Amino acid sequence: MNIFIRELKAHRKALIIWSICMALLVLSGMGKYTAYSSGGASSEVFDKLPNTMKVMLGLNGFEVTKISGFFAFLFPYLEITTAIHAALLGSSIIAKEERDKTTEFLIAKPVSRNTIITSKLLAALINVIIINLVSLLSSLAIVSSFNTGEDITGEILILHLIMFIVQLIFLTLGTLLAAWLRKSKISGSLVANIIIVGYIISKVTDLVDYLKALNIFSPFKYFSLQKAVNENEISISTTLLCLAVIAVFTACTYYFYQRRDMNV
Amino acid sequence: MNVIEIKDLTKNYRKSRGIIDVNLNIEEGEIFGFIGPNGAGKSTTIRTLLGLIYPSKGTATIFGKNCIEHPDIRKELGYLPSEVFYYDNMRVIDLLKYSASFYKKDCTKRINELAEIMDLDLKKKIDDLSFGNKKKVGIVQGLLHEPKLIILDEPTSGLDPLMQQKFFDLIAQENRKGATVFFSSHILSEVQKMCSRVAFIKEGKIIKTEKMSTLQENSYKRFSIEAKSAINKEAFNMNGVSSFELKNNTANFIFKGNINSIMKKISEIELRNISIEEPDLEEIFMHYYAKED
Repeated sequence: MNIFIRELKAHRKALIIWSICMALLVLSGMGKYTAYSSGGASSEVFDKLPNTMKVMLGLNGFEVTKISGFFAFLFPYLEITTAIHAALLGSSIIAKEERDKTTEFLIAKPVSRNTIITSKLLAALINVIIINLVSLLSSLAIVSSFNTGEDITGEILILHLIMFIVQLIFLTLGTLLAAWLRKSKISGSLVANIIIVGYIISKVTDLVDYLKALNIFSPFKYFSLQKAVNENEISISTTLLCLAVIAVFTACTYYFYQRRDMNV
Repeated sequence: MNVIEIKDLTKNYRKSRGIIDVNLNIEEGEIFGFIGPNGAGKSTTIRTLLGLIYPSKGTATIFGKNCIEHPDIRKELGYLPSEVFYYDNMRVIDLLKYSASFYKKDCTKRINELAEIMDLDLKKKIDDLSFGNKKKVGIVQGLLHEPKLIILDEPTSGLDPLMQQKFFDLIAQENRKGATVFFSSHILSEVQKMCSRVAFIKEGKIIKTEKMSTLQENSYKRFSIEAKSAINKEAFNMNGVSSFELKNNTANFIFKGNINSIMKKISEIELRNISIEEPDLEEIFMHYYAKED
């Protein structure tokens, strides 16, 4: 319990900064909606863009002149931001003890390594939930202030559920790498690179159909955003698969941390 | 009862040597010195005891329980690391309270007592403290729960002589109250002052475990003799003579064994001068550590 509270305190400042950035990101993103939706002409411009261009801009598959399409176009940017937050949080919450040389202090206390991991994972989970809620609530508030047409609360909720699952995947990937790698310090940059690669893959597979199989390496492509937008639904089987991945990453985090020789 | 039992403990690192077949028993209530140069394996041994690293072979137990499998034995263990690092953004009191929160007892009184003895300002931020003051935080942190076993890894570095003295008094006091102390150091004089037994470690192996009294009183004598004519080196090629240095008519060496046999040898020489001294631990130490190459 004390480690859990300590971690919450240690991450409080970063959490506030990330929360403000998330809200600003939603605000500035939605602020452009008026330009996209202002008139029929812009819609034609988007239609005439070559597909490659649409993919690069993230415009493919959505009617960005409608609020539902526009939010879906904005969503990947929110998603990748929260993914980076979760990944860096996961890796640093484990690795920082060795980085700051506080491992000796912590391990010399009468706590098991499993207790340490449990406390840290719970604290990280709270952080990730808060970031998700900030994104959700600011999306709901800001969208409704711009929205003049259909209600897209259902879409926003579903997209944030997807966001939460992606956050958990990257959070546990971060903790796994930090617990596993002998030089746990590098886990942060490694997991950030994995996100970038995952993001690039998600773009490439949009462009090149026969590379679709690569999507397995990109959690951003696990869920169909089209389905979320059009039907307000999420694939149950994909969700279960993702939960299994998260469970495996978590179990591996415990396993590797338990057997780890701490660098002092 | 043995508070610490280390059996055939071996730790291989990928590249470098760790420790090889270390055997140690530390009895309840004693102050045990663990002596060796930097890199000999002192810290590796301690880290295994703390459960920071896993042994490649062998076992280490504290209070009869395996120190890897039973984290709860660390309730009664206080540890002072050689270099003190703590969570930066905390005040001293926050860190100490955090530390105390692991022990399920009220340590406030003891924290205040210790801070007073060590002259430590509890309200300062840890990042603002000097190396010596951080060390004091480490001392208070290691002792605030009144542990039954105290493990010290090079505890005095960074402390001024006055604080060192206070620290030694504190440790001696804890020891009188019944705490067992495991004291690792490369500074021999402080070990000499405190410890009842001592183990020497060199290149990962324990080369000797002995009572401090045996080390100091009986076995070793430093001889310096000056003869009227040249000394024959061969004459001193006998059991117990070591670190033999010969310069013209003067010879210096350390002797361990029956004094009479060496006196007989010396009586055969026409002497100009002789001195027989108690070697300090430093010399015994160097005698153990002199590289055999």
